[in-house]
Amino acid sequence: MTTHLEQELEHIKSRIFEMADLAIEAIARSIRALQNSDEGLAEAVLRDDTLLDNLEVEIDNECVRVLVTRQPAAVHLRFVLSMLKINTDLERIGDLASNIAREAVNLHGKPTLKPLVDLPRMAEICIAMLRDVFTSFTERDADRAREVIARDRDIDTLNMQVYRELFTYMAENAQTISQALGLIMVSKALERIGDHVTNIAERAVYYIEGVDIRHTDE
Amino acid sequence: MTDKISAENLTFYYGSTAAIKNVSLSVRSNTVLALIGPSGCGKSTFLRCINRMNDIIPNTRVEGNLTIDGESVYHPKYNVTGLRRRVGMVFQKSNPFPKSIFENIAYGLRINGIRDKYEIESIVEKSLKSTALWDEVKNRLEKSALGLSGGQQQRLCIARTIAVQPEVILMDEPASALDPISTQKIEELIQDLKRNYTIIIVTHNMQQAARVSDETAFFYMGDLIEINPTEKIFTRPDREMTENYITGKFG
Repeated sequence: MTTHLEQELEHIKSRIFEMADLAIEAIARSIRALQNSDEGLAEAVLRDDTLLDNLEVEIDNECVRVLVTRQPAAVHLRFVLSMLKINTDLERIGDLASNIAREAVNLHGKPTLKPLVDLPRMAEICIAMLRDVFTSFTERDADRAREVIARDRDIDTLNMQVYRELFTYMAENAQTISQALGLIMVSKALERIGDHVTNIAERAVYYIEGVDIRHTDE
Repeated sequence: MTDKISAENLTFYYGSTAAIKNVSLSVRSNTVLALIGPSGCGKSTFLRCINRMNDIIPNTRVEGNLTIDGESVYHPKYNVTGLRRRVGMVFQKSNPFPKSIFENIAYGLRINGIRDKYEIESIVEKSLKSTALWDEVKNRLEKSALGLSGGQQQRLCIARTIAVQPEVILMDEPASALDPISTQKIEELIQDLKRNYTIIIVTHNMQQAARVSDETAFFYMGDLIEINPTEKIFTRPDREMTENYITGKFG
């Protein structure tokens, strides 16, 4: 028998998954806008960020309501606490995708510095990590969540590589500074997205196993 | 949703003492209202005003108005027997009749003029199913209800109440004598029953009020201090006195 509490938790989960879909789409579209110099698409990303903002508030309220009126315990309590935090991470991911979209608008019409390879690669990894972390939630698979955390290193490595490359451009030719700085911002945003996905994965482990692996060697 | 029950300036006296004073509130159809407050605050008195249970206590009197579906239940011509059929009641201590499980439910049906054996059987089954008791008792319907556990007895009393198809169910601390598992079953049941009934529950247990109700009314020394959606009462009550009570500062 499904209890009323479980039905309400299921509802919160479906809203969070909706948010995750929107976040994934925001990352993919913002990078595509940058690659294709598509100003319209970048503006659409900025516009749609309010959907994530609204969901954040709605899910927070829903979690508070469940805490007050259902008084969840044990795995149910860990679930609600995780959702409250993941909610914030997803909203921040939306903001970072907006930052990328803003850079796409800024760089629109300027000559391209170089073909974009590493940045789309970073975005791909972020999206794959996000997909996997939510699968780990559904399947209650903490090992999969841990694998997601490990992949954040790939993003950090790519980020450093992008920095080095763009510094070289700027050192060689001052004309490239404004474009290079824009791309550095994009790289930084993707690196931060990776950190937020890592947070989400840590919350998944907490929900599944009840252990807090933040700031540990794990 | 429309108001099912409405109290306007309701005051109830035991002798010269007012147990509830000028209480005005309304309850929408198909919702659960929880009444909370310290002992002697008037919450049970208010509950018993709704089906005129207080009538049987000598030297008491009512002022103000109380309506169900817009009809004043204290009107001299109001049919009190009809009222008690429309408004069922479940008490703190389960009080099954010393009869079989089947008879506990069939009894009220016969009193209400239902004679058809098959109809009675069908209503008994339906009532036991809607209180999630059917699977536990279907093979011993002819056995005494007194052989059931406390939680089962209480669910039988709820089944007995809903068998006669009331519109409102009053519950006076229905789970306070039960273990946590039975309590959870009763609370789940309350949530299911509100689809078809309007429920008012008195509880000493604030957490229970938060779990089962849509609206909560806080009473103190006969006054209605605050009535608001339950979520609001337990997160940001309007009155400081409510906040003090639900955070355990008094009571």
